[in-house]
Amino acid sequence: MSALVLALAVNGLVWGLIIALIALGLSIIFGLLDIINVAHGDFFMLGTVVVLVLTVSTGSYWLALALVPLIGFAVGLVLERLIIRPTIRQASLTIVTTFGLSMMLQEGVRATYGAQPRRMAAPIEGTIPLFGIDYDVYRIFAAAFAALCLVAFFVFLTRTKLGTWIRAVRHDPETATALGVPVTRICAITFGLGTAMALLGGAIAAPITTVEFRTGVDILPFCFMAVIIGGLGNLQGTVAAAVLLAVFEGLVTSVTDPTIARIVSLGLMSVVLLVRPHGLFSGATR
Amino acid sequence: MAKRPTKFRPTKTASNDKSTGGLTRRNFLEVALAGGAAASGAYISLARDMSAFAQASGSIVIGHHCELTGGFASWGYWHNKCALAATKVINDGGGIAGRKLELVTEDTESNPAAGARKLRSLIQRNRASFITGSVHSGVMLASIPVATEMKTVYFSTGEATEATGEKGTRYSFRTGTDTYGLAAAGAPWAYENLGKTWTIISPDYAWGHSHYKEHKAVIEKLGGKVHDPIYVPLDAKDLVPYLARIPQDTQVLFSVFFGALSIAFYTQAKSMGLEKTMRMYSVSGTIEAIAPADLKGAAEGVYIVENFPRMLKYKDDAFHKEYNKLVGTDDVHAREIGSDKVNAKSHSWQSYENLFALKQAIEASGWKQKSDDKGVIEALEGLQMANSLGFAQGAKTLRKEDHSGMIDCYISRIENDEFQVKKKVTKEEMAAMLPPRYDFSKEAL
Repeated sequence: MSALVLALAVNGLVWGLIIALIALGLSIIFGLLDIINVAHGDFFMLGTVVVLVLTVSTGSYWLALALVPLIGFAVGLVLERLIIRPTIRQASLTIVTTFGLSMMLQEGVRATYGAQPRRMAAPIEGTIPLFGIDYDVYRIFAAAFAALCLVAFFVFLTRTKLGTWIRAVRHDPETATALGVPVTRICAITFGLGTAMALLGGAIAAPITTVEFRTGVDILPFCFMAVIIGGLGNLQGTVAAAVLLAVFEGLVTSVTDPTIARIVSLGLMSVVLLVRPHGLFSGATR
Repeated sequence: MAKRPTKFRPTKTASNDKSTGGLTRRNFLEVALAGGAAASGAYISLARDMSAFAQASGSIVIGHHCELTGGFASWGYWHNKCALAATKVINDGGGIAGRKLELVTEDTESNPAAGARKLRSLIQRNRASFITGSVHSGVMLASIPVATEMKTVYFSTGEATEATGEKGTRYSFRTGTDTYGLAAAGAPWAYENLGKTWTIISPDYAWGHSHYKEHKAVIEKLGGKVHDPIYVPLDAKDLVPYLARIPQDTQVLFSVFFGALSIAFYTQAKSMGLEKTMRMYSVSGTIEAIAPADLKGAAEGVYIVENFPRMLKYKDDAFHKEYNKLVGTDDVHAREIGSDKVNAKSHSWQSYENLFALKQAIEASGWKQKSDDKGVIEALEGLQMANSLGFAQGAKTLRKEDHSGMIDCYISRIENDEFQVKKKVTKEEMAAMLPPRYDFSKEAL
């Protein structure tokens, strides 16, 4: 029993790191642009589809993995200009806009790529014994790579001029404008970065999960839970909350039904909102 | 029953257009413009409309309640394609009792609430006299009360046994198998040949629960042991927490999934090496619309109960061959000709054959209008369907008491990405193993 608890806790950590990458994208979009991006899960889905298509066409998963965030960034820039910018800083309106975008993305993929779910073979095969179960080696790689991407993002955010501008616009857009920061361009870049993270998360998760036009629907609630528990717009808090939630669910799952585990997670979120309405880590950064 | 007033029917139909849908802005404008033209005295236009109306009133409208979008879209594509193929064959052959078959399709969105609403639309707005229905267990179970309330024959194509069991009615039929039938077809063989200690892992909804209940009953009756079920939420992406709970002494892992969850299950079970310690057993729904080759070895060695062999050679006759041509699939992998889509073959045949079953019952009963439905229902109860182009899956009986199809089933093993049949369970064997548990034929209409 204790071995199962440990195995599921480790699996929770692994899955949590992948989700954290996706949730972080959601969080920076909300934090900077006040956009409640209902289509974020579909960006994740787009990442799974694009990486599969690129892997099949180029014959290399690794090349596809390198290209996906670039494509995601470009897609984000285009969508920001065409769909997001006209509704920016009107949170309620962005829900409607991104909900429409979500349906367009899903049905667009269904109409072009098809409704058939597909499997993507893992680029790294094999298992290692982990607390009594045979654990997929690729998952270990995926978690490590996701962690590396998270670290790289925070380095970018704190150690580069562009990162400083993004933080400045998040903190006080009017003052940033007065100081010559190109706010409109920063907003577009931020949306592009958030989109790129979701697509990258999809590219990493594709060999673990399923490639299908509805894959993103189910990932979104977990990401929102992480963003809410971590503190709306709080980037480090979002990452910490995603990992904590996944580990917590893994631990609860080891002693009870997985459905109960999700109910407990939702209950936990409700308690956090009651006790700390701004999230567990509110005030840590902004 | 009073005859309903004739009114404009805005939905496109299979007889003149492959796409179908509800009232659109374009339909509305067309109607408005036509009305304006008629009002201004355009005699020719009016005469043409009257002619079209006369033609439409002579046709028989059958509704197709189909999953074109949502989680079952990869199956629904094939149900739609098969129903359209049957419509063409029937109309090319002179229609039903000399009247044109008009197929009207509504998308259930793979959603029970939307499905029930769309069913009302089919019956009330499109005036469908009969319905060939949903393959989504949740949708069909939500729809049967609606069909019954509206006194309309509804063919379920999904597997939850309740559709022709505790939630069945005089109006509810199913030509295919249900979980009761699938358990009878496959579980005794699997018990003898694969193992006696079972664990069932399935989605946490009607279809999975129904499979657990029926299989547990069969295995325990045979003297086997069935562990507590492992139910997976429909939104699960990571199945490791569920797979890790499978008891070590499991000899047969019976999985029941569909669509994306199937892929996730096979992928993650394979990555954990479960097939090394237990036999993998399942039903066709788990790998429906999926080619084993696309799973890249993850489904190799899995045993599957099929309702219609994916490979032509295991029901090698001219009807099966012609059917494959009509629905545009190859004879080995059931892939669509010219694409990589895979036919949901063990289920989609029902959307094809149900139209022929209705044709047979309508013609046998002399049905003319809605008030003659009783005759059709009585003709369907106990309907014998001969192996033919209309019933390419094979000869079958629609049992009088529980309105369930008694059909041949096949237990196959996936070997080198192909479904190799290991045992055929005949419809006579099925009927012997499946005593009717309900008798709807005694219900008043």
